[in-house]
Amino acid sequence: MAGDVTTDPVTLEEAPPPEETSEAAAMAARLAEAGRVKRLNDRTRMIIAYVVLTLFVVIAIGPAFYLISPAFRDSVSLFTYPPEWIPSEPTLENYRFLFSSTSYVRWAINTLVFAGATTLLTLVTNTMAGYAFARLRFPGRNLLFFVILATLMVPVAAVLAPTYLTVTTIGDWPIIGNWIDTDTYLGLILPSAVSPLGVFMMRQFIQTLPDGLYEAARLDGAGEWRIFTKIVLPLIKPALVVLGIFVFMLTWASYLWPLVAATDNEFRVLTVGIASLKGQFVTDWGILAAASLLTIVPVTIVFLFFQKWFVQASMAGALKQ
Amino acid sequence: MTAVDVPAHEATPDDWAAPSLSDSEYRWRARRYRFRTVRRAAGFLSPYLIVWGVFLAIPAVWGIFLSFNQGGLIRGDPRVFVGFDNWTRTVSDSELRTAVKNTSIYVLIAIAVVFTLAIFLASLLNHYKKGSNFYKVALYFPLLAPPILGAIMWFFMVNFDFGILNLLKRSVIGGDGIRFLGDNPHALLTIVAVEVWRGLGFWVLFYLAGLQSVPEELQAAAKIDGAGKWRRFRRITVPTLRPLLLFALVIAVIFNFQLFDSVQVLTDGGPRLGTATVVWFIHKRLFKFQDTGLAYASSIGLLVVVLILTALSFWLLGKRRQREA
Repeated sequence: MAGDVTTDPVTLEEAPPPEETSEAAAMAARLAEAGRVKRLNDRTRMIIAYVVLTLFVVIAIGPAFYLISPAFRDSVSLFTYPPEWIPSEPTLENYRFLFSSTSYVRWAINTLVFAGATTLLTLVTNTMAGYAFARLRFPGRNLLFFVILATLMVPVAAVLAPTYLTVTTIGDWPIIGNWIDTDTYLGLILPSAVSPLGVFMMRQFIQTLPDGLYEAARLDGAGEWRIFTKIVLPLIKPALVVLGIFVFMLTWASYLWPLVAATDNEFRVLTVGIASLKGQFVTDWGILAAASLLTIVPVTIVFLFFQKWFVQASMAGALKQ
Repeated sequence: MTAVDVPAHEATPDDWAAPSLSDSEYRWRARRYRFRTVRRAAGFLSPYLIVWGVFLAIPAVWGIFLSFNQGGLIRGDPRVFVGFDNWTRTVSDSELRTAVKNTSIYVLIAIAVVFTLAIFLASLLNHYKKGSNFYKVALYFPLLAPPILGAIMWFFMVNFDFGILNLLKRSVIGGDGIRFLGDNPHALLTIVAVEVWRGLGFWVLFYLAGLQSVPEELQAAAKIDGAGKWRRFRRITVPTLRPLLLFALVIAVIFNFQLFDSVQVLTDGGPRLGTATVVWFIHKRLFKFQDTGLAYASSIGLLVVVLILTALSFWLLGKRRQREA
């Protein structure tokens, strides 16, 4: 039945109109020709576009794949020419070395502790501060917010020396110095949890919540803390996830502060540790490749599961301002 | 609700009567109210303010003081007040000048290349929507790895003996390989390539979001009026995106000016300072504990530049908001 309906117009079109002249026929042919050329053109364009896009995708993910072969072979065999892409004698020697003779596991644990704690601390402090700036009135609020916001993009390098001095100075104090110093977890974490980006994000987000919510809660006799924990927090969960991913990704990838704050191997993180595997003059390529690959694979898997959140989080840094 | 006829309320002198509080009582209550608001806010703000104050705000101010000093970064090394000495030397120091020059060249090339590519790819993705999600995710991939790991991947790619770029060069063009990291200006250009590779996905997504905000009706109207593709791009897309472009430019300058990680791991500033950058210079001077004074001063220079650019970016953003409103 449906077929009848669709074929009907076609047969109508194909029936030659009786008053057709040769001129009109030529015109119709030209139009049909032009349409075909255009369609062909569009098709070639599309194919070129996808080829270009694919090329960039290969460039984007290719370097990671280029690590696979060196990771499973003896470094010396890398230097044969012509190159052997698939190792003739694949080996796990590099990984054995990585786990037995370097502190890779320790670095990985340190990274998780460092990035996890920094993320948690940032979420707690930034959400509370964001709430205060969004909902509470107090003298000097705008000035304070402006001053904090001014430090949004302060580079680590620009305050590297004084931050280092602050941490070593606190490190000399009794008791607290055992916890906050260079080569301590808190010494790594606290200076990494200073960015006001989250305060700003949370303030924006909390401001969008309807006023009625607060008024209703206040009428019911809830205090600020209760409103914050019972009403605001559950509502801003998506923003918390986005900020959390963003901070975690930024922190575990950070290099400069961990490089200077943790000189003791016991407190090194992955970025600093892997960079140290690349020797100044001689590099064991196999081990470097093995360590890099081992680090990227889990992140990639997590990313593929939560890619939507990741992309949102990375945009949050730039667009949500 | 049923409408109840309420007679219009006329203000009577009673409405404006003084509150039944004495002056001092009134002032006392006002102060108590203000104290309460401050206390309540302090409860929410103090966790962040303490961390921010101790580890960012105080160091930033301390840094200004440090820039007039020399040494004192490690125990046993006395700090010496040297006045404006560091500052006068920032102008004349040849290593710092090279670092500033390299960083500027890097910033210019990297941003020009990455923005051009990003706008181009974003336009493609905006037009060819089929499978665009796959391309977006794949292009985003380099951002997952820390800059250090991205640099290490390229360390393999550009290796003289087995890097794929040199293998290709030898087999296709012939001749000897290229010392991507061992010659100038190859080294700086390689760093540019690595950073463009890493940032491209971010900027593609950034511009894609921007392109999608260009009103569809405007494009359609222009098309009916007979405007070609290029003309529509020049007259509609670019003007709509301009505020976004300017803002992106400023933050890209801020981020790229801090180039350090890949330099540190790939070339360590070499060869012959060919890839020395400002942050590399600061780190080198500080933690080789030599001539820290110059590093103190240049950190403050960096801080001031970034603060000015931050202000500029907020101003641009404010303008954009205004236009939207």
